[in-house]
Amino acid sequence: MNKNWHLPREATAILFVIALFLGIGIINPMFLSVQNILLCFNSSVIYTVVAIGIAFVIISGEIDVSVGATLGMTAAVCGTFVRDGNAGMGIVAAVSVGLMIGVVNGFGVTVLRIPSIIMTLGMFGIVRGLIYVYTDGKWIENIPIAYKAFAQAKAIGGLTWFYLVALLMMATAHLIMTTTHRGRYFIAVGDNAGGATLLGIPVAVLCSAAASIGGILYVSRVGFITPIAGTGYEMKVIAACVLGGISLTGGVGSLIGATVGAAIMASISRILVFLGFPSDYDNTITGILLIVIVVADSLLQSRSAEKLRKERLAARTNGMATSSGEAVR
Amino acid sequence: MMDKRDLGKKIFRWEGFLVVLIVVEVLVFGGINPKFLIPRVLLGSINNFMSICIVSLFVTFVLITGGIDIQAGSIVGLTSIVIGVLWNDAGVDIYIACLAGLSIGMVCGALSGFLVAYTGVQPMVVTLGGSFLYSGLALTVTNFSSTESYKGISGFPAGFIQIAKGKLFGIIPSQLVIFLALVLVSYVLLHLTKYGRKIFLCGVNRNAAEYSGINTRLVVMSTYILSGFGASLAGILLTSYLGTAKTDLGKEITLPVITAVVLGGTSNLGGAGGVIGTALAALLIGLLRFGLSMAGVGTQYLDIPVGVLLILSVAVRFAGTNERLRAIPRYFKNLFPGKDCA
Repeated sequence: MNKNWHLPREATAILFVIALFLGIGIINPMFLSVQNILLCFNSSVIYTVVAIGIAFVIISGEIDVSVGATLGMTAAVCGTFVRDGNAGMGIVAAVSVGLMIGVVNGFGVTVLRIPSIIMTLGMFGIVRGLIYVYTDGKWIENIPIAYKAFAQAKAIGGLTWFYLVALLMMATAHLIMTTTHRGRYFIAVGDNAGGATLLGIPVAVLCSAAASIGGILYVSRVGFITPIAGTGYEMKVIAACVLGGISLTGGVGSLIGATVGAAIMASISRILVFLGFPSDYDNTITGILLIVIVVADSLLQSRSAEKLRKERLAARTNGMATSSGEAVR
Repeated sequence: MMDKRDLGKKIFRWEGFLVVLIVVEVLVFGGINPKFLIPRVLLGSINNFMSICIVSLFVTFVLITGGIDIQAGSIVGLTSIVIGVLWNDAGVDIYIACLAGLSIGMVCGALSGFLVAYTGVQPMVVTLGGSFLYSGLALTVTNFSSTESYKGISGFPAGFIQIAKGKLFGIIPSQLVIFLALVLVSYVLLHLTKYGRKIFLCGVNRNAAEYSGINTRLVVMSTYILSGFGASLAGILLTSYLGTAKTDLGKEITLPVITAVVLGGTSNLGGAGGVIGTALAALLIGLLRFGLSMAGVGTQYLDIPVGVLLILSVAVRFAGTNERLRAIPRYFKNLFPGKDCA
């Protein structure tokens, strides 16, 4: 057992972040200032929240590509209420819209047995269209300054309250996932291709609810909502999970990894600025990082699996040789 | 060998249903807005969604092997901008630029296909990375141009514009002709050649295919090259039709393309499907979008019906094998056991 022990996947992700930051720091020491690193993490808060939600879905072996649209829709809903001076109502409304989308997704996947990628791709189109219906194609502006100030409010150690709350969410969800029966059941379901379709509605709802919290944060952080708000978030967040060591086949990875991946995704454009590149290269670097990391990971895994297989085979043939020898004697 | 009755059954089941849907659609939209039925308008509408048709035709190959391709949209944009920059800033002949664009699209497809087939990473992740990478590269390429990226490169020679804007016999749009030719080519490739059988076998059971002597890795990789080729072709036609080369030309085609393939009867789990169904479904979706916009629905709402269509089509297809749905009547029967006896 001890011989085959290797670093947990999220630890590799954390090591990668440290190596990445140090590497950039060597090229441009300004990058390693405390303030900048805090900024990298603080700015990843929306990715983090949404990534935590989608990590549940991915670990249980499914996928949700509608989170970006959900984020945009809930941001629009929350934004209109906040603009009219009713922030509490806005948050409630946003979360309930998120829950509804999650229930529809979960219903389609579990009851109608639609593959999750198809179901959520369809929902992506529907919700994107509904945003236009809801906003009438107009921007939602004039968010009160007090609400926007929330996003900048600092808690201990320079981290924003938002990020702290996101970390708290992550820690709670992580504990639920690793220590309770139900959480372990999720992971087990993802580990088993046949059982993956058993994914309950709760996971889809959880994911959409996380996206709706992301939407609420979006209103505060960005301060205005366009009808295309949240476009591309689904891809960025899935990429964040993959960077954080979560396998899209399910069953492998943790929420800590998702958080780290979100921080990487959010820092890429900052890193480019510090290296003196235009932020146009953002997507290129994301793509290369994603492909290189995933391919390297897959190759390493298949190599270790091959090694294990050979060891087992060798052990078995040895055993057979001795037993047949006994038979002859 | 395929029996004649089997062939008939196949055509009349799903593809026939799609044809009926298209006819109904044309009649309904014609009823709402009689202008829709004018041949010039109806045929001309093809131009608006040809890129979706062409891309989905070749993405079908990928889905049949059990993969998925969400990078095609980025390749469309990359091809377009490569052509524009080569022609406008490097002074290359436009047709050579097109060939270069086509080969770049195929190289992009080959790269992703290689990673999918030879490293065992899930197709979804690889093509997700690909979609970032190729759209990023497209932006990088614009930096070589003297024109700002948001403007797009325009002013192409008339001969090039004519590729997509021309009309056969003064009425049939050349894009339709190209599309029909591509349908024929891909039909032959997928359904009548050995190579096509290999693609199906890879989707049904990759291990079995490998053990029966098929180089499954090469076959899987080749489907991604094909889809890259299709995306590039769509990029060329779109550039020619719009007269502008832009990076974001294929940005929003992922949803309609996957919808067309799945609605066309191709299983997203691989192993079953066909290009005729895809072609019909793509036409269905395109006409739906065009008809709705002619009926006065804003273009930004058009993703709603497409999304509904995608979910419904898959739900209906899976309904037959869904024991939970079949359990519903049984559930009611158990509630009222008396009825059963009577």
